[in-house]
Amino acid sequence: MALWLIILIAVIVVLLLIVIGFYNRFVVLENRINNSLAQIDVQLKKRVDLVPNLVETVKGYAKHEEKIMHEVSEARKALVGAIDSKDIVKSVKAGDALQGALSRLFAIAENYPTLKANENFLQLQQELSAIEDKIAYARQFYNDSVLAYNNACRTIPGAWFASLFGKKAGKYLEIPEAEREPVKVKF
Amino acid sequence: MAKERISFHDQIARNKWKSFFLVIIVFIVLIALGYVISLAFDPGYFFIIMIIATIISLLYVMITYYNSDKIALASVGAKKADPVKHKALYNAVESMAIASGLPMPQVYVMPGSQINAFATGRDPKHAVICVTEGALAKLNKQELEGVIGHEMSHIANYDIRYMTTVAVVVGAISIISQMVLRSMWYGGRDRDRGNIIFFLIAIIFAILAPIVVMLVQFAISRKREFMADAGAVQFTRYPPGLIGALKKIKNEHEPMKVPDAVKPLFFSDTSRKISGLFQTHPPIDVRIKILEAM
Repeated sequence: MALWLIILIAVIVVLLLIVIGFYNRFVVLENRINNSLAQIDVQLKKRVDLVPNLVETVKGYAKHEEKIMHEVSEARKALVGAIDSKDIVKSVKAGDALQGALSRLFAIAENYPTLKANENFLQLQQELSAIEDKIAYARQFYNDSVLAYNNACRTIPGAWFASLFGKKAGKYLEIPEAEREPVKVKF
Repeated sequence: MAKERISFHDQIARNKWKSFFLVIIVFIVLIALGYVISLAFDPGYFFIIMIIATIISLLYVMITYYNSDKIALASVGAKKADPVKHKALYNAVESMAIASGLPMPQVYVMPGSQINAFATGRDPKHAVICVTEGALAKLNKQELEGVIGHEMSHIANYDIRYMTTVAVVVGAISIISQMVLRSMWYGGRDRDRGNIIFFLIAIIFAILAPIVVMLVQFAISRKREFMADAGAVQFTRYPPGLIGALKKIKNEHEPMKVPDAVKPLFFSDTSRKISGLFQTHPPIDVRIKILEAM
Protein backbone atom coordinates (compact mmCIF):
# COMPACT_ATOMS: atom_id res chain seq x y z
CA MET A 1 0.00 0.00 0.00
CA ALA A 2 2.73 2.42 1.04
CA LEU A 3 4.66 1.56 -2.12
CA TRP A 4 1.71 2.54 -4.28
CA LEU A 5 1.50 5.83 -2.48
CA ILE A 6 5.19 6.57 -3.04
CA ILE A 7 4.90 5.75 -6.75
CA LEU A 8 1.81 7.93 -7.02
CA ILE A 9 3.56 10.87 -5.36
CA ALA A 10 6.64 10.37 -7.53
CA VAL A 11 4.52 10.41 -10.68
CA ILE A 12 2.73 13.57 -9.56
CA VAL A 13 6.01 15.29 -8.75
CA VAL A 14 7.48 14.37 -12.14
CA LEU A 15 4.35 15.59 -13.92
CA LEU A 16 4.46 18.85 -11.98
CA LEU A 17 8.12 19.34 -12.90
CA ILE A 18 7.32 18.75 -16.56
CA VAL A 19 4.47 21.27 -16.45
CA ILE A 20 6.68 23.85 -14.72
CA GLY A 21 9.44 23.22 -17.24
CA PHE A 22 7.13 23.87 -20.16
CA TYR A 23 5.62 26.90 -18.51
CA ASN A 24 9.06 28.41 -18.00
CA ARG A 25 9.97 27.61 -21.59
CA PHE A 26 6.98 29.63 -22.81
CA VAL A 27 7.87 32.51 -20.50
CA VAL A 28 11.44 32.52 -21.80
CA LEU A 29 10.23 32.54 -25.41
CA GLU A 30 7.78 35.38 -24.72
CA ASN A 31 10.46 37.39 -22.95
CA ARG A 32 12.73 36.93 -25.93
CA ILE A 33 10.06 38.37 -28.21
CA ASN A 34 9.53 41.34 -25.89
CA ASN A 35 13.27 41.98 -25.69
CA SER A 36 13.59 41.93 -29.45
CA LEU A 37 10.73 44.41 -29.70
CA ALA A 38 12.58 46.68 -27.30
CA GLN A 39 15.70 46.39 -29.50
CA ILE A 40 13.77 47.53 -32.57
CA ASP A 41 12.37 50.44 -30.57
CA VAL A 42 15.81 51.49 -29.37
CA GLN A 43 17.20 51.60 -32.90
CA LEU A 44 14.16 53.41 -34.32
CA LYS A 45 14.46 56.03 -31.59
CA LYS A 46 18.15 56.50 -32.39
CA ARG A 47 17.16 57.13 -36.00
CA VAL A 48 14.54 59.64 -34.88
CA ASP A 49 17.12 61.45 -32.74
CA LEU A 50 19.67 61.78 -35.53
CA VAL A 51 17.33 63.22 -38.16
CA PRO A 52 16.99 66.84 -36.85
CA ASN A 53 20.76 67.12 -36.69
CA LEU A 54 21.00 65.85 -40.26
CA VAL A 55 18.32 68.25 -41.51
CA GLU A 56 20.14 71.18 -39.89
CA THR A 57 23.41 70.20 -41.53
CA VAL A 58 21.84 69.79 -44.97
CA LYS A 59 19.97 73.10 -44.66
CA GLY A 60 23.27 74.92 -44.34
CA TYR A 61 24.33 73.72 -47.80
CA ALA A 62 21.17 73.05 -49.79
CA LYS A 63 18.55 75.60 -48.75
CA HIS A 64 16.21 75.23 -51.70
CA GLU A 65 15.73 71.45 -51.42
CA GLU A 66 12.66 72.16 -49.34
CA LYS A 67 10.54 69.37 -50.72
CA ILE A 68 12.76 66.54 -49.58
CA MET A 69 13.43 68.24 -46.24
CA HIS A 70 9.73 68.50 -45.66
CA GLU A 71 9.30 64.86 -46.63
CA VAL A 72 11.97 63.73 -44.15
CA SER A 73 10.50 65.83 -41.35
CA GLU A 74 7.02 64.49 -41.98
CA ALA A 75 8.28 60.90 -42.08
CA ARG A 76 10.08 61.51 -38.82
CA LYS A 77 6.94 62.89 -37.22
CA ALA A 78 4.98 59.85 -38.38
CA LEU A 79 7.60 57.55 -36.89
CA VAL A 80 7.53 59.35 -33.53
CA GLY A 81 3.73 58.93 -33.48
CA ALA A 82 4.01 55.26 -34.44
CA ILE A 83 6.58 54.55 -31.70
CA ASP A 84 4.32 56.22 -29.14
CA SER A 85 1.39 54.07 -30.27
CA LYS A 86 3.44 50.93 -29.36
CA ASP A 87 2.22 49.22 -32.52
CA ILE A 88 5.26 47.36 -33.77
CA VAL A 89 4.12 46.76 -37.34
CA LYS A 90 3.17 50.43 -37.68
CA SER A 91 6.48 51.55 -36.19
CA VAL A 92 8.48 49.36 -38.53
CA LYS A 93 6.53 50.63 -41.54
CA ALA A 94 7.01 54.25 -40.48
CA GLY A 95 10.69 53.48 -39.94
CA ASP A 96 10.92 52.13 -43.49
CA ALA A 97 9.21 55.26 -44.83
CA LEU A 98 11.72 57.46 -43.02
CA GLN A 99 14.59 55.35 -44.31
CA GLY A 100 13.23 55.77 -47.83
CA ALA A 101 13.05 59.54 -47.44
CA LEU A 102 16.58 59.59 -46.01
CA SER A 103 17.90 57.57 -48.94
CA ARG A 104 16.40 60.13 -51.36
CA LEU A 105 17.94 62.92 -49.28
CA PHE A 106 21.35 61.27 -49.51
CA ALA A 107 20.90 60.83 -53.26
CA ILE A 108 20.17 64.55 -53.63
CA ALA A 109 23.12 65.40 -51.40
CA GLU A 110 25.31 63.94 -54.13
CA ASN A 111 24.74 67.16 -56.09
CA TYR A 112 26.32 69.28 -53.36
CA PRO A 113 30.07 68.60 -53.20
CA THR A 114 30.65 70.88 -50.21
CA LEU A 115 27.90 69.12 -48.26
CA LYS A 116 29.33 65.75 -49.20
CA ALA A 117 32.70 66.85 -47.84
CA ASN A 118 31.23 68.04 -44.55
CA GLU A 119 32.53 65.82 -41.77
CA ASN A 120 29.40 66.09 -39.67
CA PHE A 121 27.28 65.06 -42.64
CA LEU A 122 29.50 62.07 -43.42
CA GLN A 123 29.37 60.94 -39.84
CA LEU A 124 25.58 61.18 -39.72
CA GLN A 125 25.34 59.27 -42.98
CA GLN A 126 27.50 56.45 -41.62
CA GLU A 127 25.63 56.41 -38.36
CA LEU A 128 22.25 56.18 -40.10
CA SER A 129 23.43 53.41 -42.37
CA ALA A 130 24.70 51.45 -39.33
CA ILE A 131 21.30 51.94 -37.71
CA GLU A 132 19.64 50.62 -40.85
CA ASP A 133 21.72 47.43 -40.52
CA LYS A 134 20.90 47.07 -36.86
CA ILE A 135 17.18 47.52 -37.48
CA ALA A 136 17.34 44.79 -40.12
CA TYR A 137 19.05 42.45 -37.63
CA ALA A 138 16.63 43.36 -34.86
CA ARG A 139 13.70 42.53 -37.18
CA GLN A 140 15.36 39.26 -38.09
CA PHE A 141 15.80 38.34 -34.42
CA TYR A 142 12.22 39.34 -33.68
CA ASN A 143 11.00 37.04 -36.45
CA ASP A 144 13.31 34.24 -35.25
CA SER A 145 11.86 34.61 -31.76
CA VAL A 146 8.28 34.58 -33.04
CA LEU A 147 9.06 31.48 -35.10
CA ALA A 148 10.53 29.71 -32.05
CA TYR A 149 7.47 30.66 -30.01
CA ASN A 150 5.03 29.52 -32.68
CA ASN A 151 6.91 26.27 -33.17
CA ALA A 152 6.75 25.63 -29.45
CA CYS A 153 2.99 26.31 -29.50
CA ARG A 154 2.31 24.14 -32.53
CA THR A 155 4.51 21.09 -32.10
CA ILE A 156 3.72 18.26 -29.73
CA PRO A 157 4.19 18.09 -26.76
CA GLY A 158 4.37 21.88 -26.46
CA ALA A 159 0.97 22.21 -28.13
CA TRP A 160 -0.77 20.38 -25.25
CA PHE A 161 0.74 22.72 -22.70
CA ALA A 162 0.16 25.80 -24.85
CA SER A 163 -3.59 25.30 -24.66
CA LEU A 164 -3.27 24.59 -20.93
CA PHE A 165 -1.54 27.94 -20.35
CA GLY A 166 -3.70 29.79 -22.87
CA LYS A 167 -0.75 30.47 -25.20
CA LYS A 168 -1.66 30.77 -28.84
CA ALA A 169 0.49 30.39 -31.92
CA GLY A 170 0.23 33.44 -34.14
CA LYS A 171 -0.36 35.76 -31.21
CA TYR A 172 2.67 37.68 -32.41
CA LEU A 173 2.90 38.81 -36.00
CA GLU A 174 5.98 38.41 -38.10
CA ILE A 175 7.37 41.63 -39.46
CA PRO A 176 7.77 41.74 -43.22
CA GLU A 177 11.40 41.25 -44.25
CA ALA A 178 13.32 44.48 -44.66
CA GLU A 179 14.02 45.34 -48.24
CA ARG A 180 17.58 44.24 -48.50
CA GLU A 181 18.43 46.67 -51.25
CA PRO A 182 17.35 50.21 -50.51
CA VAL A 183 17.49 53.01 -53.07
CA LYS A 184 20.87 52.73 -54.77
CA VAL A 185 23.11 55.66 -54.04
CA LYS A 186 25.92 56.19 -56.49
CA PHE A 187 29.26 57.27 -55.11
CA MET B 1 14.32 23.10 -36.84
CA ALA B 2 13.24 21.69 -33.51
CA LYS B 3 15.97 19.07 -33.71
CA GLU B 4 18.58 21.70 -34.40
CA ARG B 5 17.53 23.68 -31.35
CA ILE B 6 17.74 20.66 -29.12
CA SER B 7 21.25 19.94 -30.29
CA PHE B 8 22.28 23.52 -29.51
CA HIS B 9 20.84 23.08 -26.03
CA ASP B 10 22.74 19.81 -25.67
CA GLN B 11 25.94 21.52 -26.67
CA ILE B 12 25.40 24.26 -24.09
CA ALA B 13 24.70 21.74 -21.33
CA ARG B 14 27.73 19.67 -22.34
CA ASN B 15 30.01 22.71 -22.31
CA LYS B 16 28.81 23.77 -18.88
CA TRP B 17 29.28 20.25 -17.51
CA LYS B 18 32.75 19.85 -19.02
CA SER B 19 33.89 23.20 -17.62
CA PHE B 20 32.75 22.17 -14.16
CA PHE B 21 34.45 18.78 -14.50
CA LEU B 22 37.67 20.46 -15.57
CA VAL B 23 37.70 22.80 -12.59
CA ILE B 24 37.25 19.80 -10.29
CA ILE B 25 40.16 17.98 -11.96
CA VAL B 26 42.43 20.98 -11.46
CA PHE B 27 41.39 21.15 -7.84
CA ILE B 28 42.19 17.46 -7.27
CA VAL B 29 45.52 17.69 -9.08
CA LEU B 30 46.64 20.66 -6.98
CA ILE B 31 45.70 18.91 -3.76
CA ALA B 32 47.53 15.78 -4.92
CA LEU B 33 50.57 17.92 -5.54
CA GLY B 34 50.33 19.26 -2.00
CA TYR B 35 50.08 15.73 -0.68
CA VAL B 36 53.20 14.64 -2.56
CA ILE B 37 55.15 17.62 -1.32
CA SER B 38 54.13 16.94 2.28
CA LEU B 39 55.22 13.31 1.92
CA ALA B 40 58.54 14.38 0.52
CA PHE B 41 59.24 16.92 3.25
CA ASP B 42 58.02 15.53 6.51
CA PRO B 43 54.84 13.56 7.22
CA GLY B 44 54.51 15.57 10.44
CA TYR B 45 53.57 18.63 8.44
CA PHE B 46 50.97 16.67 6.49
CA PHE B 47 47.89 18.50 7.81
CA ILE B 48 49.35 21.98 7.61
CA ILE B 49 50.57 21.42 4.08
CA MET B 50 47.25 19.90 3.04
CA ILE B 51 45.35 22.88 4.43
CA ILE B 52 47.64 25.28 2.60
CA ALA B 53 47.31 23.22 -0.59
CA THR B 54 43.52 23.28 -0.34
CA ILE B 55 43.43 27.03 0.19
CA ILE B 56 45.85 27.66 -2.66
CA SER B 57 43.92 25.45 -5.07
CA LEU B 58 40.59 27.02 -4.10
CA LEU B 59 42.09 30.47 -4.67
CA TYR B 60 43.64 29.43 -7.96
CA VAL B 61 40.41 27.95 -9.27
CA MET B 62 38.35 30.95 -8.23
CA ILE B 63 40.77 33.58 -9.44
CA THR B 64 41.26 31.93 -12.83
CA TYR B 65 37.55 31.30 -13.27
CA TYR B 66 36.67 34.94 -12.72
CA ASN B 67 39.66 36.40 -14.53
CA SER B 68 40.28 33.94 -17.35
CA ASP B 69 39.14 36.53 -19.89
CA LYS B 70 41.61 39.12 -18.60
CA ILE B 71 44.43 36.56 -18.57
CA ALA B 72 43.71 35.51 -22.15
CA LEU B 73 43.50 39.13 -23.32
CA ALA B 74 46.71 40.09 -21.55
CA SER B 75 48.60 37.11 -22.95
CA VAL B 76 48.02 38.29 -26.52
CA GLY B 77 48.51 41.99 -25.75
CA ALA B 78 44.91 42.99 -26.57
CA LYS B 79 43.63 46.49 -25.87
CA LYS B 80 40.09 47.80 -25.53
CA ALA B 81 38.78 48.94 -28.92
CA ASP B 82 38.41 52.69 -29.36
CA PRO B 83 34.73 53.62 -29.97
CA VAL B 84 35.65 56.28 -32.53
CA LYS B 85 38.60 54.70 -34.29
CA HIS B 86 37.03 51.23 -34.41
CA LYS B 87 33.50 52.40 -35.15
CA ALA B 88 33.01 49.76 -37.85
CA LEU B 89 34.03 47.00 -35.44
CA TYR B 90 31.64 48.24 -32.77
CA ASN B 91 28.84 48.37 -35.33
CA ALA B 92 29.56 44.81 -36.48
CA VAL B 93 29.62 43.50 -32.89
CA GLU B 94 26.44 45.37 -31.96
CA SER B 95 24.69 44.08 -35.08
CA MET B 96 25.62 40.50 -34.26
CA ALA B 97 24.62 40.96 -30.62
CA ILE B 98 21.21 42.14 -31.82
CA ALA B 99 20.89 39.30 -34.34
CA SER B 100 21.73 36.69 -31.69
CA GLY B 101 19.71 38.34 -28.90
CA LEU B 102 22.74 38.31 -26.58
CA PRO B 103 24.04 41.20 -24.48
CA MET B 104 26.70 43.38 -26.11
CA PRO B 105 30.13 41.86 -25.36
CA GLN B 106 33.23 43.92 -24.64
CA VAL B 107 35.30 44.64 -27.72
CA TYR B 108 39.10 44.32 -27.88
CA VAL B 109 41.72 44.69 -30.58
CA MET B 110 45.05 42.83 -30.60
CA PRO B 111 48.16 43.59 -32.61
CA GLY B 112 49.00 41.40 -35.62
CA SER B 113 48.71 41.73 -39.37
CA GLN B 114 46.99 38.33 -39.81
CA ILE B 115 43.23 37.98 -39.95
CA ASN B 116 42.00 36.33 -36.77
CA ALA B 117 39.67 36.76 -33.81
CA PHE B 118 38.64 35.04 -30.59
CA ALA B 119 35.96 35.22 -27.94
CA THR B 120 36.44 34.60 -24.25
CA GLY B 121 34.71 35.05 -20.89
CA ARG B 122 32.72 32.86 -18.55
CA ASP B 123 29.16 33.41 -19.84
CA PRO B 124 27.30 35.63 -22.35
CA LYS B 125 26.95 38.39 -19.75
CA HIS B 126 30.72 38.51 -19.23
CA ALA B 127 31.95 37.94 -22.77
CA VAL B 128 34.73 39.54 -24.76
CA ILE B 129 35.34 39.54 -28.49
CA CYS B 130 38.86 40.32 -29.67
CA VAL B 131 39.96 40.78 -33.29
CA THR B 132 43.37 41.41 -34.84
CA GLU B 133 44.29 44.70 -36.44
CA GLY B 134 44.82 42.70 -39.63
CA ALA B 135 41.20 41.55 -39.63
CA LEU B 136 40.03 45.16 -39.35
CA ALA B 137 42.29 46.26 -42.19
CA LYS B 138 41.62 43.39 -44.60
CA LEU B 139 37.97 42.37 -44.15
CA ASN B 140 34.98 44.22 -45.55
CA LYS B 141 31.78 44.78 -43.60
CA GLN B 142 30.07 41.49 -44.49
CA GLU B 143 33.22 39.45 -43.88
CA LEU B 144 33.80 41.10 -40.52
CA GLU B 145 30.18 40.43 -39.55
CA GLY B 146 30.67 36.79 -40.54
CA VAL B 147 33.74 36.44 -38.29
CA ILE B 148 32.03 38.26 -35.41
CA GLY B 149 28.93 36.10 -35.93
CA HIS B 150 31.13 33.00 -35.57
CA GLU B 151 32.53 34.32 -32.29
CA MET B 152 29.07 35.35 -31.10
CA SER B 153 27.97 31.79 -31.71
CA HIS B 154 30.82 30.52 -29.49
CA ILE B 155 29.51 32.86 -26.81
CA ALA B 156 25.91 31.67 -27.22
CA ASN B 157 26.95 27.99 -27.02
CA TYR B 158 29.08 28.50 -23.89
CA ASP B 159 32.11 27.37 -25.85
CA ILE B 160 33.93 30.36 -24.39
CA ARG B 161 33.59 29.11 -20.84
CA TYR B 162 34.92 25.69 -21.67
CA MET B 163 37.68 26.76 -24.03
CA THR B 164 38.92 29.50 -21.74
CA THR B 165 39.02 27.07 -18.82
CA VAL B 166 41.07 24.70 -20.96
CA ALA B 167 43.42 27.52 -21.89
CA VAL B 168 43.97 28.47 -18.26
CA VAL B 169 44.57 24.85 -17.18
CA VAL B 170 47.03 24.12 -19.98
CA GLY B 171 48.77 27.39 -19.11
CA ALA B 172 49.00 26.49 -15.41
CA ILE B 173 50.40 23.05 -16.13
CA SER B 174 53.05 24.49 -18.40
CA ILE B 175 54.02 27.01 -15.71
CA ILE B 176 54.36 24.24 -13.10
CA SER B 177 56.43 22.08 -15.43
CA GLN B 178 58.70 25.05 -16.18
CA MET B 179 59.16 25.57 -12.46
CA VAL B 180 60.02 21.93 -11.87
CA LEU B 181 62.46 21.83 -14.76
CA ARG B 182 64.25 24.96 -13.55
CA SER B 183 64.45 23.82 -9.94
CA MET B 184 66.02 20.58 -11.20
CA TRP B 185 69.05 22.61 -12.26
CA TYR B 186 69.56 24.11 -8.83
CA GLY B 187 68.47 21.20 -6.64
CA GLY B 188 72.01 20.08 -5.81
CA ARG B 189 71.95 19.89 -2.04
CA ASP B 190 70.20 17.35 0.13
CA ARG B 191 70.39 14.67 -2.48
CA ASP B 192 68.24 11.96 -0.99
CA ARG B 193 65.19 14.01 -0.14
CA GLY B 194 65.48 15.99 -3.38
CA ASN B 195 65.47 12.76 -5.34
CA ILE B 196 62.29 11.62 -3.67
CA ILE B 197 60.57 14.92 -4.43
CA PHE B 198 61.55 14.83 -8.07
CA PHE B 199 60.67 11.20 -8.35
CA LEU B 200 57.17 11.89 -7.06
CA ILE B 201 56.76 15.02 -9.15
CA ALA B 202 57.84 13.02 -12.17
CA ILE B 203 55.10 10.52 -11.39
CA ILE B 204 52.57 13.32 -11.14
CA PHE B 205 53.60 14.62 -14.53
CA ALA B 206 53.37 11.14 -15.95
CA ILE B 207 49.74 11.25 -14.83
CA LEU B 208 49.19 14.83 -15.91
CA ALA B 209 50.63 14.58 -19.40
CA PRO B 210 47.90 12.36 -20.87
CA ILE B 211 45.28 14.55 -19.21
CA VAL B 212 46.71 17.60 -20.97
CA VAL B 213 46.69 15.78 -24.29
CA MET B 214 43.09 14.75 -23.70
CA LEU B 215 42.08 18.29 -22.81
CA VAL B 216 43.66 19.75 -25.89
CA GLN B 217 41.92 17.14 -27.99
CA PHE B 218 38.61 18.07 -26.40
CA ALA B 219 39.28 21.69 -27.17
CA ILE B 220 40.08 20.91 -30.78
CA SER B 221 36.55 19.69 -31.28
CA ARG B 222 35.87 20.30 -34.94
CA LYS B 223 32.18 20.04 -34.31
CA ARG B 224 32.45 23.16 -32.18
CA GLU B 225 33.91 25.14 -35.08
CA PHE B 226 31.36 23.84 -37.59
CA MET B 227 28.55 24.71 -35.21
CA ALA B 228 29.92 28.21 -34.77
CA ASP B 229 30.10 28.62 -38.57
CA ALA B 230 26.47 27.49 -38.83
CA GLY B 231 25.58 29.94 -36.06
CA ALA B 232 27.29 32.76 -37.92
CA VAL B 233 25.16 32.02 -40.98
CA GLN B 234 22.03 31.93 -38.85
CA PHE B 235 22.87 35.39 -37.48
CA THR B 236 24.06 37.07 -40.68
CA ARG B 237 21.82 35.15 -43.16
CA TYR B 238 24.71 35.72 -45.54
CA PRO B 239 27.15 32.80 -46.02
CA PRO B 240 29.31 34.66 -48.61
CA GLY B 241 30.53 37.01 -45.85
CA LEU B 242 32.09 34.24 -43.77
CA ILE B 243 33.27 32.41 -46.91
CA GLY B 244 35.03 35.57 -48.07
CA ALA B 245 36.79 35.92 -44.74
CA LEU B 246 37.92 32.27 -44.78
CA LYS B 247 39.21 32.61 -48.33
CA LYS B 248 41.24 35.67 -47.39
CA ILE B 249 42.71 33.76 -44.43
CA LYS B 250 43.55 30.85 -46.71
CA ASN B 251 45.70 33.13 -48.83
CA GLU B 252 47.73 34.29 -45.86
CA HIS B 253 50.85 32.34 -45.08
CA GLU B 254 52.58 33.92 -42.11
CA PRO B 255 51.85 32.16 -38.82
CA MET B 256 50.73 34.08 -35.75
CA LYS B 257 52.79 34.13 -32.60
CA VAL B 258 50.47 33.45 -29.66
CA PRO B 259 50.92 31.39 -26.49
CA ASP B 260 50.03 27.68 -26.91
CA ALA B 261 47.36 27.88 -24.26
CA VAL B 262 45.16 30.37 -26.13
CA LYS B 263 45.54 28.80 -29.60
CA PRO B 264 42.27 26.83 -29.56
CA LEU B 265 40.35 30.04 -28.83
CA PHE B 266 41.05 31.58 -32.22
CA PHE B 267 38.80 31.89 -35.25
CA SER B 268 41.28 30.11 -37.52
CA ASP B 269 44.44 28.10 -36.94
CA THR B 270 47.28 30.30 -35.74
CA SER B 271 50.05 28.07 -37.14
CA ARG B 272 50.32 27.10 -40.77
CA LYS B 273 51.59 23.55 -40.39
CA ILE B 274 50.46 20.96 -42.89
CA SER B 275 50.16 18.09 -40.42
CA GLY B 276 46.55 17.45 -39.47
CA LEU B 277 47.18 15.84 -36.13
CA PHE B 278 47.95 18.98 -34.15
CA GLN B 279 45.74 21.37 -36.00
CA THR B 280 43.50 23.22 -33.62
CA HIS B 281 40.83 23.77 -36.27
CA PRO B 282 39.20 21.91 -39.15
CA PRO B 283 40.81 22.65 -42.53
CA ILE B 284 39.61 25.91 -44.05
CA ASP B 285 38.68 24.19 -47.34
CA VAL B 286 36.24 21.91 -45.55
CA ARG B 287 34.68 24.84 -43.73
CA ILE B 288 34.29 26.76 -46.99
CA LYS B 289 32.75 23.74 -48.71
CA ILE B 290 30.15 23.26 -45.98
CA LEU B 291 29.28 26.96 -46.00
CA GLU B 292 28.91 27.01 -49.76
CA ALA B 293 26.41 24.15 -49.53
CA MET B 294 24.20 26.14 -47.13
